[in-house]
Amino acid sequence: MDNLISLMHGFGVAATGFHLTLMVVGVLLGILVGVLPGLGAPNGVSLLLPLTFSMDPVSAIILLTSMYWGALFGGSTTSILFNIPGEPSSVATTFDGYPMAKQGRATEALSLAFLSAGFGALAGVVLITILSTWVAKFALRFSSPEYFAVYFLAFASFVGLGGTSPFKTIVSMMLGFAFATVGMDTISGSLRLTFGFNELLSGISFLVAVIGLFGIGELILTMEEGLRFDGIHAKVSPRDVLATIQRMPRYWMTLLRSSLIGCWMGITPGGPTAASFMSYGLAKRFARNKEGFGKGRPEGVIAPETADHAAGTSAILPMLALGVPGSATAAVMMGGLMIWGLNPGPMLFIEKPDFVWGLVASMYLGNVVAVVLVLATVPFFAAILRIPFAIIGPVIVVVCFIGAYTVSSSMFDLWLALGFGVVGYVFKKLDYPVAPLVLAMVLGDKAEDAFRQSMIMSRGSLAIFWSNPLVACMTALAVALLLWPLIGMAQDRLRASRAVAPVG
Amino acid sequence: MSSTDETVQPRALLSRRAAETVAALFTGAIGATVVIGSREYGTGWDSSGPQPGAFPFYVGLIIVAASLVNLVRGALAGAGPVFVDRLQARQAASFFLPIVAFVVLTVTLGIYVGAALYLFGVMVFQGGYRWWTALAVSLGVALFFFVVLERWFQVPLLKGPLEAALGIY
Repeated sequence: MDNLISLMHGFGVAATGFHLTLMVVGVLLGILVGVLPGLGAPNGVSLLLPLTFSMDPVSAIILLTSMYWGALFGGSTTSILFNIPGEPSSVATTFDGYPMAKQGRATEALSLAFLSAGFGALAGVVLITILSTWVAKFALRFSSPEYFAVYFLAFASFVGLGGTSPFKTIVSMMLGFAFATVGMDTISGSLRLTFGFNELLSGISFLVAVIGLFGIGELILTMEEGLRFDGIHAKVSPRDVLATIQRMPRYWMTLLRSSLIGCWMGITPGGPTAASFMSYGLAKRFARNKEGFGKGRPEGVIAPETADHAAGTSAILPMLALGVPGSATAAVMMGGLMIWGLNPGPMLFIEKPDFVWGLVASMYLGNVVAVVLVLATVPFFAAILRIPFAIIGPVIVVVCFIGAYTVSSSMFDLWLALGFGVVGYVFKKLDYPVAPLVLAMVLGDKAEDAFRQSMIMSRGSLAIFWSNPLVACMTALAVALLLWPLIGMAQDRLRASRAVAPVG
Repeated sequence: MSSTDETVQPRALLSRRAAETVAALFTGAIGATVVIGSREYGTGWDSSGPQPGAFPFYVGLIIVAASLVNLVRGALAGAGPVFVDRLQARQAASFFLPIVAFVVLTVTLGIYVGAALYLFGVMVFQGGYRWWTALAVSLGVALFFFVVLERWFQVPLLKGPLEAALGIY
């Protein structure tokens, strides 16, 4: 009940004319970065973040989260109309969305996508409303060892559930931690790993890394594959949308299942991309008649979209309540929170209730605004992609570098963004995941502090991570996740040798 | 695109194995740099707990170890598919090299002049536009960014000799 009262208070904070304007601006910018290749949600939020340094934190976070919602919607638009996912998390939407559009059902596919995305997002926000206070209260009992165990768990789940080579995940993640240690050490005040370069004194900004890795790297990759937009024209008429709304309840099972998958993957750092793939896979497995998947089944659009948005939204919960972001974009936003002088975690609920509940309320409003706006502006944004790439490509590049420069007005950051761009391109081609790198860069200082404080508490004994049932549970789970890929590999080896044995 | 791959077999420029090796050596080198750099600040224990170098020291060690595993796994996996063929390399380079030029121009002439020249160059030499179209678009884009950033958001960007000559600061 308390949550409901707080939420009503939050609506009072969020539902001002200024904030509603920010939502509209944020959503439109978000759709734009979602539609444009090479610019995605993490990158878009990084570009906008430096412009919010002087804003009030509540207004700033409303702008950034609205951009996030817009980007998620924009990504699905290009998936359906152009067969080009604007976001990694909308790859699964292309499987059935593009075939539907090709069959002349573009309007149906788009409205299905947007409405189920809205449903997924709503599920995520409701979850946050119900759970956040409880999680924050629970987390108040945490001290340094528990915090380190939470971080450890978050990173171990990348290794265990990431799907790519665990050693590549480890390299990527540890590089993030290493980059985070460059510059001033927060505990001793000494300068680390600067190797005498003045440019490195202030450290390596995660924003510049995101702009390089996700922006420049993604663009080079897109260019290398030979970009072609042969899109399908679409206009969304209110009557078609209404017809789709009427048919939505028929898919209640898919909607519900996908929301659950999305919420789970958003809270644990599985992220929206994994959620949408998993949801698509399960929709296919549970379908009574499996025919038609990949050829334009409505469920094939509903399932990934719902899960994608449910995950994207619920990724905010661990960020706010624990200070552990559930996705790369949430990591960037959390970095923003720290720059604005807020400390994500349970104390935020006590010290800044206006901020927390204003944000939660804005998520309800922002998603409604986003669904309406995206339905209204689809033809316009689809037209943007018809601008020749010889113009739009360089403009995106310029925007990325402007963004990199605005982070700290440093020329060195331009070179850094270029370098991270090359790294991002190579890493993506070789299946090194980049999200763990970003997460590690944002969480690096906090994880290190938690570790060092725990070591001080225990006088250097690692046994502190097993010292009470709570921390022991989390550590055990994390170790199990770390070892998970090894068990899988051993099983494969065993099976392979068994298969070979009878022959030899 | 996949359809062109089937008709014309592209010549490989770099095998996957070579790329894996280079990447593993690169990350390993960063790890080694971190290890060496962190030893300067002490990796042990003093009166105030773990010394500043301890955390990066072990992070660096893990990078080196995991890079070694990637190196071995990459080499054992066989030559593998093509990492990048000639066509792809040309397409990627024709996009990437102008970006490098853009950064050089930006560092010397400021971001607005750099952006205008970069956009103009790409439009004329790669997009095949007439020079006056390219000029109009590139100047328009540079001016747009100038108005939005300097006037609306009051964010000063990197400026060069041209802005100084015009007296805009």
